[in-house]
Amino acid sequence: MTSHRLLAVSALATLALALAAPAARATPADPEAARRGAKAYGRYCISCHGTAGDGRGPTAEWIDPRPRNFTSGTFKFRSTPSGELPTDEDLLRTITRGLNHTGMPHWRALTGREQRDLVQYVKTLAPRFASEPQGKPISIPKPPAFTTELVAKGHEVWNKMQCASCHGDTGKGDGSSAPTLRDDWGYAIAPRDFTSGPLKVGDRPEDLYQAFQTGLNGSPMPSFAESITPEESWALVAYVRSLRKD
Amino acid sequence: MTVRSLRAAGVLSLLILATRAEAIPAFARKYGTSCSACHVAWPILNPQGQLFRDNGYQFGLGKDDPVTVSNAYVPFAVRTTAAYQGTRTTHQASDGDPVTTRTGGVPSPGLDILTAGTIARDVSFLVVVAGFTPDEPGGVESGWARLSNLGGTSWLNVKAGKLELDQPASSHRPVTMTAGYAVYGAHPDGSAVAFDLGENQVGVELDGHSARSTTRYAIALVSANGDPGSSGVWSSPLVYGHVQQAFELGNPVLPWVRVGALAALGWLPTEFATDAGEPIPGTGRAHKRYARVGGELSGMLGYPSTPFLFTAAYLYGREDAALGGGTEANGFQGGFVEVNWVPFSDVAYNATPWLLFGRYDFVRYKTGPGNVDGVTGGARRYLAMGPRASLAIHAEVHADRTRQAGAPSPSSGTNLDVESQTLMLGLDFAY
Repeated sequence: MTSHRLLAVSALATLALALAAPAARATPADPEAARRGAKAYGRYCISCHGTAGDGRGPTAEWIDPRPRNFTSGTFKFRSTPSGELPTDEDLLRTITRGLNHTGMPHWRALTGREQRDLVQYVKTLAPRFASEPQGKPISIPKPPAFTTELVAKGHEVWNKMQCASCHGDTGKGDGSSAPTLRDDWGYAIAPRDFTSGPLKVGDRPEDLYQAFQTGLNGSPMPSFAESITPEESWALVAYVRSLRKD
Repeated sequence: MTVRSLRAAGVLSLLILATRAEAIPAFARKYGTSCSACHVAWPILNPQGQLFRDNGYQFGLGKDDPVTVSNAYVPFAVRTTAAYQGTRTTHQASDGDPVTTRTGGVPSPGLDILTAGTIARDVSFLVVVAGFTPDEPGGVESGWARLSNLGGTSWLNVKAGKLELDQPASSHRPVTMTAGYAVYGAHPDGSAVAFDLGENQVGVELDGHSARSTTRYAIALVSANGDPGSSGVWSSPLVYGHVQQAFELGNPVLPWVRVGALAALGWLPTEFATDAGEPIPGTGRAHKRYARVGGELSGMLGYPSTPFLFTAAYLYGREDAALGGGTEANGFQGGFVEVNWVPFSDVAYNATPWLLFGRYDFVRYKTGPGNVDGVTGGARRYLAMGPRASLAIHAEVHADRTRQAGAPSPSSGTNLDVESQTLMLGLDFAY
């Protein structure tokens, strides 16, 4: 094969590969929906999240935990891998279901159009959405039966991942590291108290599994996706749910 | 004073006295939201506010219970209005010919104190003490306790106390301040019935709603206001029901509509044991029926966050002949068409939105005088719609005509129509 022919074949192969596996593209906000969503944002969101979406609205100082700063594109509650942008559905879920134990109410009474428009407007507040692709949701396997054995296995995972250092031996959120924890913006952040009430994002086993696999961006809670298997993740879910006392 | 003149005075007082409206900034302080989270423009609720109210003043995300709230939080709100009000009323009785009265000035500003919220999960309350002025003590306008989500379902909630009947448009949450909904308090000439749909009633209410409050119902058993007191296990009974169904149409012009229907059936005693000629409460018997049935249509035009809202309601009333002193059952029909518009201002926290509003009221009696036509319109400019307090400049004009409710004509002897015009300009403050 001549060098010219080799070069041509290589070029064609490269082109074919590029066509076969196109790079994920950014999905910036739909401008028309975002324009409408600005009206909804101005009425429902601005007092907490602020005009610029930086989480510094007039009431932010008095809300614990503080409202989300949208501008960095860092969102805790996602179905996407650690560090990646959330999907539109993730943002919609937070809007329609709210976040437990926070100042974020559910906005399920808004019309579906307002809810979807708000998602688009929030995307305009974070430049990352214009330049980076949104993440793809992780797959969540079917949960196993939460047996005593699975809970015991989950306790082993709990110890392996040193969960108690933040969440405490009983899961009450009073681990030795708890007083030192800060979020990405430097604000003190408390580890979840697993003994009482649901997670902020929900009360289903799948919500816990997702948190373990994706981590909570912007917080000290890491993703365990590279550290434990799906089976171990479900075992940890079983153990953490066994800590509930209410 | 004759029954007719009493009725005329009642109609006029309904139209002239400022209507108190409920808005509870304490909730905004509790949750850290702004007024606009729950109000199209206070005091008008938006769907989010309606759902919050329907759910017993709860969002259900672990922040409702008082123990989750800062110790500094005080669940009280106050509201006051200071305004100039001028009124002109024609054909009033005098020693001579009928006269036109003109009054104007700043009435003593009243103060309402509102407290509401949850005592524990699914246990809520509301107490409104309204009408404090330099000259008058306040009175308990509302006072009820509610058990919500019985059996874990939003379809079963029970409220007891002095409560507002679920209405097509809340008589305690209107934006107009010079005139109430005329049809709510309508009665045929000479009627002994004093029931007013817009007045709070004492009793118990069973209500429920869907997850988004698109479907709602309320059934109430109350002791009707103004009833002299019948004998029985439930004095002065009135049964009331109201259902509403909202539809999200997804249409950019007409995105949301709601239809509803209501009915009320009351029994008023016509015979009493007396003491010094006065009826003894609790002895009334020989009950006669009165009823109300109606329907409504409301909707949003344009984008729902800054909507053009409209509500049209129709009510038909019928009262037994014995309740009016006549030989035939009398009745009436009436209603109103109301519009409220909040134009979009700006994506800014310190936006000062406008609310433009208007309403037409009418009542037509089967027989007798008292037919009413009224129009009300105005504008509110919100100088603040924050999470701590709210302030609005309120300007409103009202005009109405009540047929044959005035003094007799010197020439014909028939009662003249009463025309009334009211101008109001002031500040409305809620904290």
